[in-house]
Amino acid sequence: MKNIKLYAVLASLLMLTSACNETLNVDPTSVITTTNFWRTENDANGALTGMYVELRNLSQSLHQLGEHRSEVMTPGLFGEGVFILHRNEMNADTPGHPDWSGFYRVINTANLILKFVPDITFASEARKNSMLAQAYTMRAFAYFTMTKTWGDLIIRTEPIEGFGAEVTLRERESRSQVFQLIKQDLDQALQLYPNNSFTVGRSVWSKAATNALKGDVNLWTAKLLGGGNADLNTALAALTEVDLADVGLLENFSDVFKFDNKPNREILMSIRHQDLEPGNYLWFMWIISAAAPNNIDQETREKIFPTGGGQGLMVMSEGVRSQFLENDLRKDATYFDIETINSTGEKSYLTNIQQKFKGTIIGGNRVFLSDPILYRYADILLMKAEAKNALGQDPTVEMNLIRQRAYRENFGSHTFVSGSQEENNKAILKERLLELVLEGKRWWDLVRFGKAFELVPALQNRPGQNHLLLFPIDNTVLSQEPLVVQNPGY
Amino acid sequence: MKKNVHYPNFWKKIILLLCWILIGQVGFSQTSNVITGTVSDDSGESIPGVNVLVKGTSVGTITDIDGSYTLNIPQGGTTLVFSFIGYRSREEVVGTRSRIDIKLEAALSDMEEVVVIGFGEQSREVLTTSISKVDAKALQSIPFPNAASALQGTVSGVRVQSTSGQPGAAPRVIVRGGTSINNPNGAAPLYIIDGVIRPDMNDLSADDIENMQVLKDAAATSIYGARASNGVVIITTKSGKAGQTRVSYRYDLTQSEPGKLYEMANAREYLTAYRLGHIRPAKFPDETVRLTLPNGFGTGNDLTNNTAFTTQFLTPQNQYKLDEGWESMPDPVNPSRTLIFQDNDIQSLIYQTGISQNHHISVQGGTDKATFNAGLGYLSNEGTVVTTQYDRLTFNLNGDIQVKDNLRVFGRVLYTYNTTNTTGQSTAVTFYRSAGLAPTSKIFFEDGTLAPGTSSSIGNPLYFLNNRVAESSGEKSTYTVGAKWDILPGLSFDPQISMYNINNNSYNFQPGFLNGPLNFVDTRVANASTYQWRQRQADLVLSYGKTFGGSHNLDAKLGFAYFDRNINTMSATGRGASTDLIPTLNASSEPTSVSSSITDQVILGYFGRVNYDFEQKYLFSLNMRYDGASNLGAANKWGFFPGISAGWNLHREEFWQNALPENLLRMKIRASYGENGNIGGLGDFSAQGAYGVGARYAGLPAIQNTVIPNPDLQWEQSRTVNLGTDLSLFDNRLNFIVDVYRRVTDNLITSLPLPQSTGFASVLTNLGSLENRGFEVELSAQVLPSRSRIQWNLGFNASKVKNKILRLPTNGIENNRVGGVLIWNTAAKDYVWSGGLQEGGRLGEMFSRQQVGIYSTDEEAANAPLDTYIVSSNRTKYGGDTNWLDADGNGSIDSRDQVYMGQEFPVWTGGISNNISYKNFNLYMRMDYTTGHTIFNWAKMFIDTNLFGDNNMTGDKYENSWKEQGDLAEYSRFYWGGERVQRNNFNGTVNSGNTVFFESGDFLCVRELTLSYSIPAKVVSMLRVSAIRLNFTGNNLHYFTAYKGLNPEEGGRDDGRYALPRNYNFGVNVTF
Repeated sequence: MKNIKLYAVLASLLMLTSACNETLNVDPTSVITTTNFWRTENDANGALTGMYVELRNLSQSLHQLGEHRSEVMTPGLFGEGVFILHRNEMNADTPGHPDWSGFYRVINTANLILKFVPDITFASEARKNSMLAQAYTMRAFAYFTMTKTWGDLIIRTEPIEGFGAEVTLRERESRSQVFQLIKQDLDQALQLYPNNSFTVGRSVWSKAATNALKGDVNLWTAKLLGGGNADLNTALAALTEVDLADVGLLENFSDVFKFDNKPNREILMSIRHQDLEPGNYLWFMWIISAAAPNNIDQETREKIFPTGGGQGLMVMSEGVRSQFLENDLRKDATYFDIETINSTGEKSYLTNIQQKFKGTIIGGNRVFLSDPILYRYADILLMKAEAKNALGQDPTVEMNLIRQRAYRENFGSHTFVSGSQEENNKAILKERLLELVLEGKRWWDLVRFGKAFELVPALQNRPGQNHLLLFPIDNTVLSQEPLVVQNPGY
Repeated sequence: MKKNVHYPNFWKKIILLLCWILIGQVGFSQTSNVITGTVSDDSGESIPGVNVLVKGTSVGTITDIDGSYTLNIPQGGTTLVFSFIGYRSREEVVGTRSRIDIKLEAALSDMEEVVVIGFGEQSREVLTTSISKVDAKALQSIPFPNAASALQGTVSGVRVQSTSGQPGAAPRVIVRGGTSINNPNGAAPLYIIDGVIRPDMNDLSADDIENMQVLKDAAATSIYGARASNGVVIITTKSGKAGQTRVSYRYDLTQSEPGKLYEMANAREYLTAYRLGHIRPAKFPDETVRLTLPNGFGTGNDLTNNTAFTTQFLTPQNQYKLDEGWESMPDPVNPSRTLIFQDNDIQSLIYQTGISQNHHISVQGGTDKATFNAGLGYLSNEGTVVTTQYDRLTFNLNGDIQVKDNLRVFGRVLYTYNTTNTTGQSTAVTFYRSAGLAPTSKIFFEDGTLAPGTSSSIGNPLYFLNNRVAESSGEKSTYTVGAKWDILPGLSFDPQISMYNINNNSYNFQPGFLNGPLNFVDTRVANASTYQWRQRQADLVLSYGKTFGGSHNLDAKLGFAYFDRNINTMSATGRGASTDLIPTLNASSEPTSVSSSITDQVILGYFGRVNYDFEQKYLFSLNMRYDGASNLGAANKWGFFPGISAGWNLHREEFWQNALPENLLRMKIRASYGENGNIGGLGDFSAQGAYGVGARYAGLPAIQNTVIPNPDLQWEQSRTVNLGTDLSLFDNRLNFIVDVYRRVTDNLITSLPLPQSTGFASVLTNLGSLENRGFEVELSAQVLPSRSRIQWNLGFNASKVKNKILRLPTNGIENNRVGGVLIWNTAAKDYVWSGGLQEGGRLGEMFSRQQVGIYSTDEEAANAPLDTYIVSSNRTKYGGDTNWLDADGNGSIDSRDQVYMGQEFPVWTGGISNNISYKNFNLYMRMDYTTGHTIFNWAKMFIDTNLFGDNNMTGDKYENSWKEQGDLAEYSRFYWGGERVQRNNFNGTVNSGNTVFFESGDFLCVRELTLSYSIPAKVVSMLRVSAIRLNFTGNNLHYFTAYKGLNPEEGGRDDGRYALPRNYNFGVNVTF
């Protein structure tokens, strides 16, 4: 009797404890795992959007790399420091600019799309091709920005799916190999775009924007990597092809930047920032509330308030502001001088705030949600002018299209007249400054035109130190990428 | 598609089994002897509630109010064990007797206490593993909002850090240094409360706790296998006892004072420093225009609501303010003009005196057939920071009934409900940014409305703390049903099934606010969120106990455990309410984000134990567990965790007894080895990789690859060797428990940082290995002989733990180092990568530039080595700048000149307790100490060096900083904004700065001082109650420490800390 009970208990226990491995197989409810992704077109759409989320994370970095080392910036009222780039004082300990992880995140998302999307069935082949084209363009854009910054690069064309040494430990490859990949990707992309239309509010890559990038890339290789006339012609052809899309100059310069006017016809590619999505663009060029003066006129008050998260770390330098002529309509749309009024009613200059990327006001608070512009039509015209001039052709048409809008009724006294190639270069570079300042282009322009040591005050006493044209690699990157060596000179 | 974890087949089976046990019982009975008797103490008084147990079985009973008992002894039962807290256990061989009356001797020794081990109890006499028990005194007088605080300094081997004075906040509890490389402060132990596994012990009323102990070595914890490598805290709550029905009531009234404040500079000092701080050497840009702006020190302010500060030049129009308490001083920049201003103590606006109350009533009682306990508690705890509050309601109900001679069934409900109010701001804003608001700020505008200060992140505390809602409420409930069925003599079956639920709700609301005087923000963001944790657990245990041949004692267990846990969260945020009156989402005009998630985990385990001893002389114990978890990689779901231990009671040997007088020296030596697992750092599905959702671009939903899969993820495995001895001298008047151990944790779930070019920051791997070595001692002494009228018990404990990284994932770098700094090493005469994580290194090391002194004059500074930290091409240094140590002597100050500052984790922790009783008076003092941790006083550096919004500095900085040529100063000169250029302290990162802000955190805290008085029995009986105890208690009375911040308990970076309040408590305990 006793034994029966004992056995019964033991038998029940065994019954209970059987089939346990099955019990341990728990499926996720709220996360997607690697094993169940990349099956449908919807998966691909989500991943494509994810690629642009990563691009948006780079907005600030793109501005820093493209603008901060130039002559544009000067410290604001909030104090000094954090201006390593502005002073061109970068070193491996404090490079003062972002490392390349964000760029490689973008590249990895593109690589995932390029690997998996071809095997997914889409309702429309055109949609699939457009997706692949965008991924190729994105990869080219990321490598282009990176190679302008650091020179030689680790080239990754496969997504990261494991973490063995063969994946993680890579050496840098030469700049020319990087450019070979960039150009190859751009050509692939241009073949794949089904048409010349824009989608998602001109905030994703399109055929026109890819042509713009191609023009930009070839101008660079023509001037800095010995690409010569061949590359200049490629650039000019690509830039000319942009016209096939629905693009053109807006009549009013300031309309290009109006918050309520995005997207507009002048834009080829911008990075979308909007309410309820993360992002905060050029907040550091607005005045901080703690430094906002009280003795100002009503117009000024309306311009600067609310200050939102403004920090006033950097403002536009005197050297650049003074180059804007009084009747240049671009001036007021680019920056605003804050003046205080003393007890006798005299006004004196205090500081300035930028006006291109003012963001908008939500709930009484300024939010810096303007879209960084990667390419717009004025930039295309000026790149065309630059290519033509380099080829010995006349850049007058493009230059005057820009100036007509800038000076409108006063255009007569500001008409561009073609001079020597050198004079034209000088004029084009200055026009690019007046037109595109704060849009993350200036440092690249200075490098491409070979004028960095001439025009940047912090570099004027360092001619010949050409290693400064590249950025240093952060020591923390070097410590985690053992096969990567520091750029010479740093 | 998806398999349902919510009602698996498993549960049906369990319920069927229980039915079977209950029904199957009917009609069975056993042959047995009946024994009766009484238990009394030395003086012949009967003792109710004594445990009477048939040795080697789980058959037992409890003596009733008259101290008598009746017990059926199953066949084969030969010996009875009588045990009761505070008395020496006694064993009696039954023989042929049917009546056994015994006397129990009072015992004061720790050596004879009974400790709870996993799934059972054991007398310390035969214990072979390392287990510490919390002194019941520590739980007696303080109405703890979080009972884990009672562990601080009371048990060895456990580091408890009270990191926040927020009411109800849990202290950090780390057993033996923890086993994590990535998150050493997150290595929380496993909590088992009445057999129910919990992630913490929050919201438990200290009044409901019967006892609390910590299982430390792996041999002890291996019965909990998979999750036990960070130690196990076992808590038993109060339950009914056979015998007299008791009703007791406790009341506490507590007054809390702010623990510690910064000593800030006053308005005059602030104005002097800031105005002169703008007169800087020519290399700095001229920013004197700021002296005229409407800021804390600028003269652009007026009496309107448009400016946030009072500072202005004296004019006939504002002169009347001087009669209203404003002050004046000559402008330090231009003494011919007079500044007027208000001097406010901003910091005082953050704090209040908190008043707290605690009520607890309990009813206990029962017979030998059934027992019952009901406890009801209410605590209302006001914090010392304005608006911080914690309220808690607790229920503890349990009953136990003897269904049949060999079957008892019990049920338990433990329920708590709490509400917590926080400031809704970061600790940085609350504790030092706000404190740093300029003292010249307007607290009120002229029209009597509150002024906002600079902005929300450096605002008027009175305005912001009261203009924000951050409330959360939480319910925790445990339901347990279990049985104890004696199947056969010596063999019993103990099933226990429980459910543990957590329901948390919280809501936050930011009413419209002035972000600075001119910017009214009316976004009115509101948020609500819910969090549900549903946990089910079943433990089925077969126990077998028998004594063979009179001297071989065997006790064995075999069990099966099932655990599942489901977390379900939801949160929503909205904005755009038109009113401040409704803080909930229904007022929001626009939803801004919604989110919910569901996630599950299942763990299964088989476990067993064999305890054997020969005449209590040679002791042996084997524990083991085989566990499987759903969140591990497919190939590695199961792990095996054994623990083995042995002990030798030398004093039971004949040679010992012959050589030494009886009870002069009792000694046990013991050794153990065990393996534990841990998967604490692993998400439910991380092994499978993850694509994250929730991000959007241009309104479109995005999916991003966020985690690289690693199907090979497996259990962390720690191996511990523990050697210990239990010693008692002079008839147990002096007791020692000493342990040394070495624990090596392999296969640590460690994040392997990936090169930046992969686009991923890290991947979880099992490639780490960490060693912890430690030493622990607990000493208790009965200082005066037991016949003395004054009794004095002294307790002391000390623990030391040191960690070392043995192995890290291979990454091609020397020592597989991750992070760290390349610095000059004097011994090696070369640059060596130090700190970070590297093989052979320690966790939490900090490095910084070393301040040798402050240059007294410009001439002296002119000879300074080139300082590459200076952010300017002009690297001139001046008098008042920091003289840095040029460690490598190369004439240039750079990152390689950093030196070792100390490390984050305490090395020694421990406590001292004294309990002195005389007649009806009792004095109890408890202190604890922690040493070896270094704190980077970031908060002080932040405010002292003007890193934020024209903030005020400490008086220490004002007094002791360089002011003019020739000064020999402790701190560098105060330049306005100059810190960002000259880098005299701050180096541009948050990890390091200047040595003067790296401080030792060593402290000794007078944690508790209690004087209690028990009203004499004669008086009490006239009041028709059985006992009244009164106590006056001081809690967190004083820290002996050199640390200049608010709370020295935690190493690492101090980013604003809520100091522990100093509590004065009056308590009364009445028993009816």
